[in-house]
Amino acid sequence: MPYSMPSRQALSRSLLAAVTLAAMPYSAHALGVVAGTAIENTAQVSYTIGTTPVTTPSNTVSVTVAEVLDVVVTLQSATTSVSPGATNQALVYRVTNTGNSSEAFQLTLNSVIGGDEFDPTPASPSIYFDTDGSGTLTPADTPYVAGSNDPLLVQDTFTTLLVINNIPTGLVNGARGFSQLTAQSRTGTGAPGTVFAGQGAGGTDAVVGTTGADGDATGQYVVADVQLAAAKTATITDPFGGSRPVPGARIRYQIVVTPTGTGTATAALFRDPIPLNTTFVPGSLQLNAVTLTDSSADADAGGFVTTPSPAVQVTLGNLTQASGPQTVVFDVTIN
Amino acid sequence: MKKGKTLMAATLATLLASSALYAAANTDVAAPKAGQGCISLKTVAETEQEVLNEKGERVKRLAPAAKVVPGSEVVWTVTASNVCAAAAGNVFIDNPVPQHMAYVPNSATGPGADIAFSLDGRRFAAPEQLRVRDADGTERAARADEYTHIRWSFKNAIAPGQMAMARFRATLK
Repeated sequence: MPYSMPSRQALSRSLLAAVTLAAMPYSAHALGVVAGTAIENTAQVSYTIGTTPVTTPSNTVSVTVAEVLDVVVTLQSATTSVSPGATNQALVYRVTNTGNSSEAFQLTLNSVIGGDEFDPTPASPSIYFDTDGSGTLTPADTPYVAGSNDPLLVQDTFTTLLVINNIPTGLVNGARGFSQLTAQSRTGTGAPGTVFAGQGAGGTDAVVGTTGADGDATGQYVVADVQLAAAKTATITDPFGGSRPVPGARIRYQIVVTPTGTGTATAALFRDPIPLNTTFVPGSLQLNAVTLTDSSADADAGGFVTTPSPAVQVTLGNLTQASGPQTVVFDVTIN
Repeated sequence: MKKGKTLMAATLATLLASSALYAAANTDVAAPKAGQGCISLKTVAETEQEVLNEKGERVKRLAPAAKVVPGSEVVWTVTASNVCAAAAGNVFIDNPVPQHMAYVPNSATGPGADIAFSLDGRRFAAPEQLRVRDADGTERAARADEYTHIRWSFKNAIAPGQMAMARFRATLK
């Protein structure tokens, strides 16, 4: 499968980043009435005795809302591309209290899971609160210590957590490693409907909800040991011998694609759209200082295409670090 | 013959006493006086709970409301007992749908009663006559969860010692 690489900016992206695991959205629905709320009811009767109208209330019945224990864990990060031996690789999770009262949750991490090719090694500590909300591990983030700073979440709120693993060495390209974060209600877990008498908010019963008061989500790392970096430069020559970007000026784009790491990037394809309000200069396309014809149907590696939009396209083939930097050059004029 | 009559009168007195006791056990209102408080009204909240019957089968029974959580259905039962010697006519029972609860469609029952609903506690009507106007101006039939009050109008008078019952279900939001 050809790899289409944008060259708008220098980038370092794994070939396998195309394999993305979208974060599963879970709509944490508001569970309504808060535990401990008194639901009161008083009926009223009206009637006549003879001709005398009378109205009388009933007794007032009060029912106290019990606590529901529910928690949902969702993965917030896409599949994370890693190199063998990489340290402190973060996955981002969200723990949401979908119950109807404040509740503390215990967190556990498991990186030894079946169905993958390697087991990530949890760092120490391995779970952090994303205290600064950056989505990445920073010195500002607080480590999680079970039983010490279990997140206490008000109903319908969430906290964001970072799970940090190290990646073993000696892994092959494409190998996947799973890591699972579990959150469990501190009051207790169990089959839906399980009751913890008197342990709910304000002395009410706590009842296990549909989630079992136990939620988990699994993130994944994938080894992508070849990375392609693209660096693009532009040189402008105006009709008056200067370098101002005026109509008629010519822009020479040079893009250098550099493979790094081990392994092979198979069938790498370079594609760069011709910028709006510019026109490709016929015959200007070069790969490694060799001119390529504009036809994309002939034997050489590249050409100029007009559909779906004007672009230059060069087949770089299988690239390894030994292939060295690949330099693509083409010219456009400003309309 | 005379002796038999006395015995009968005594039995009747016992019956009256026990029914008075029954009424006393079921009511929180003051004892009736001079045409006031002839109907004792009692409300109970129950939930359907699964229990094992004598044959060991799982059956649903109504039991005092417990472990009520969002989504739980509560069965509200209102009992009206005539504790006076005179019949009570034009009897109607009003019950607001409790706060934080939504009326369960078609759940209101009441033997011998016409049942009407209200969106404001003042105007009562049959479900098909209750209309609401949405924010965009379109009119539509009111949903059961929008009812705020229920009224049971009993067609017949409640004779002394008789009872009438009104019941509905509502779901905790």
